[in-house]
Amino acid sequence: MLETATAEPDVSGVIAEFDHACLGHDDHVVFPDLTLHISQGDRIALLGRSGVGKSTLLDALRTRLGDQGAWCPQANALVPTLSAYHNIYMGRLAHFSRWQNLTNLLRPNRACWQEISGLADMLGLDGLLRRQVDQLSGGQQQRVAIARALYQKRPVFIGDEPVASVDPRQGARLLELINTRHQTCVVALHQRELALAHFDRIIGLDEGRIIIDAPASELTSHDLDVLYVTD
Amino acid sequence: MSRTDAPAGWFSWLRGDNVGARLLRLTLIMLAIMLVLLPLADLSITTRDPWKELWRMLQGMILPDITATESPLHALLLTIAFALWGVMLGIVLGFPLALIFMRSRLVRTLCAFVRAIHEIFWALLFLQVFGLSAITALAAIALPYAATFAKVYAEILAQIDRGPSQTLSPRTDRLSRFFYTELPLAWQRLSGYTRYRFECALRASVLLGFVGLPTLGYYLESAFRQGRYHEGGALLWAFYLLIALLPWWAHRRLLVPWLVGTAFLLGPWPSVNPTLLWQFVSHDIWPQPLLEGDFAALPQWFGRLPDLLPAIGNTLLLGLMSTVGSLLVCLLAWPLVSRHFGNRTTRTMGRGALIVMRSTPELLLAFILLLLTGPSLLPAWIALSLHNGALIAFLAARHADEVTPGLPGIRGINLYSHELLPRIYPGILALLFYRAEVIMRETALLGMLGVVTLGFQIDSSFEYLMFDQAVALLMVTAVINMAVDVLSRRLRPDALPERRHQPRPAPVGDSV
Repeated sequence: MLETATAEPDVSGVIAEFDHACLGHDDHVVFPDLTLHISQGDRIALLGRSGVGKSTLLDALRTRLGDQGAWCPQANALVPTLSAYHNIYMGRLAHFSRWQNLTNLLRPNRACWQEISGLADMLGLDGLLRRQVDQLSGGQQQRVAIARALYQKRPVFIGDEPVASVDPRQGARLLELINTRHQTCVVALHQRELALAHFDRIIGLDEGRIIIDAPASELTSHDLDVLYVTD
Repeated sequence: MSRTDAPAGWFSWLRGDNVGARLLRLTLIMLAIMLVLLPLADLSITTRDPWKELWRMLQGMILPDITATESPLHALLLTIAFALWGVMLGIVLGFPLALIFMRSRLVRTLCAFVRAIHEIFWALLFLQVFGLSAITALAAIALPYAATFAKVYAEILAQIDRGPSQTLSPRTDRLSRFFYTELPLAWQRLSGYTRYRFECALRASVLLGFVGLPTLGYYLESAFRQGRYHEGGALLWAFYLLIALLPWWAHRRLLVPWLVGTAFLLGPWPSVNPTLLWQFVSHDIWPQPLLEGDFAALPQWFGRLPDLLPAIGNTLLLGLMSTVGSLLVCLLAWPLVSRHFGNRTTRTMGRGALIVMRSTPELLLAFILLLLTGPSLLPAWIALSLHNGALIAFLAARHADEVTPGLPGIRGINLYSHELLPRIYPGILALLFYRAEVIMRETALLGMLGVVTLGFQIDSSFEYLMFDQAVALLMVTAVINMAVDVLSRRLRPDALPERRHQPRPAPVGDSV
């Protein structure tokens, strides 16, 4: 695997760091002065109102981590005309030869099929692998997107609201699964209960700044209210 | 509203800086220019008794004679064969070009040039070398279609959702990336567009009959020209049925059987004389003075060209008139097929009428009208406006059907003017300006019927075997069409939905 310098844990175990960084897209600055260190083994939940810059931060992090990060984007970004199986397989396109990729489109590779069915069973997608993705429900599509990220088998999981369209109980199960398969994860969420229950570190964003960065054990749901005050 | 606000005056809407005012100004300016120039257009009716002729034609349509044509089935199948294989070859040539289209200015210019010349003119050109053969027919369709496919496929591929591609590892090879994200994401639109072009190719294939290839158009032309309207009626019905039944006979699953089956029909294959071909390419189509290096004689050569200015003027004028005419036809016609108006019966009838207008090849429509009015701009104007107006009306109605009116219980003209038209008008104008390029190409084409546009001069140059002149005129036509294309692209409102590129995280400033 290609290893980028920033993604390699250094002596202190930091895998990505922003030092007074200025982040944004196009000409629009979202974070004028961002300082953030992410260490190996961190399980981070990213909280904040919508439009506050969670996606921008995750995108920047994903670019930094390169091939160390398994990316599960917002709104899934699946290919609607391909089957669930092929969408999950896409997680490792770069890993296989182009000829295998092409033949796999016509006739699924047996070993890959077995591995992906195992993954699908865990995510409650059994029996749906042959289905074209646009025929799946929103929750099922989201699980396909998670499966694709898990199939990448990379150390850091980066998810942008990966459990937004499933019910809380299933959301909890999915986050557990993500946690068992990744040492480090950074996940944007909007359910604060899930954040407090399944993550070690909470980062709260507001107006281009980090206003909360604390261990989950030191926070209560009430402490997070400040993130959602509209004023 | 505050008390001091005066009520808006008559022209205040026009002064605004919003999209609505801009489009309204654009429309009115176009209309005004057309009205000012209209007296210059020859709109005379020269036939003595057009109504009697029209009545005879209608009789022919009502009582078609299916036994009159010798081998109608062969003509029908040959029409399909040319269209199908022409489109196939167009895809084979055009798809690879689409992949480099956005990166190569050379390819873009070349495609714009090839596209700017109508299928029939390509046919006239190839006819000189390959005669009345399958090569002429296939090349005449495949070449301009390849250029169109290159452009449209490239645009479709550029508009796909970038999200899935961004989830891939940056090290993913190009081929896998293309087959797993780009192609499946674009597939539906690619195949939808190709299907639409196949319908166009069927019309083009019919038109090839006008230059002598034995497709439906050949028999149609001779039947109508000689006043055998019962035979003409039968052939016309055959063509409408062909178009109306497209979804059944041109099903995707039947593609391979059709390709194999029609392959045997293609013909005749010419015996090409390489010497003559070389003579044509290297000598015949070039101005004599240029070949001899006698540049002093060039002005004289140009002087011998037929009077270009009236032809160019007529071409541009007819183009403008037909663009405005199409807009008017569309504005009147789209409610006929929209779910917001009328009942099931009126919609069915409206749809029938629009399908007839849309699927009749423009040249054929103009040809029939010309028999009624005699050669002037009038039949050409009506034909182009009806054909293109009906085409845009369909798309406008589909667009309007997606709109749910905000106010319940609003109906009729109020619904049209307040709820629907303001929402779909930008889309209509965008389609109209897309179409302007096609209208211009067809304008030149109608010259073949004796309307004095550029096409008329091209046709007669070919007839007198003055190939150097014909090719020069084709160049002029192409340049004008390309200019109109650029102009209409400038004017076009960006109302067509284009997916914004996903904002990429990019470091702003230099602190990263």
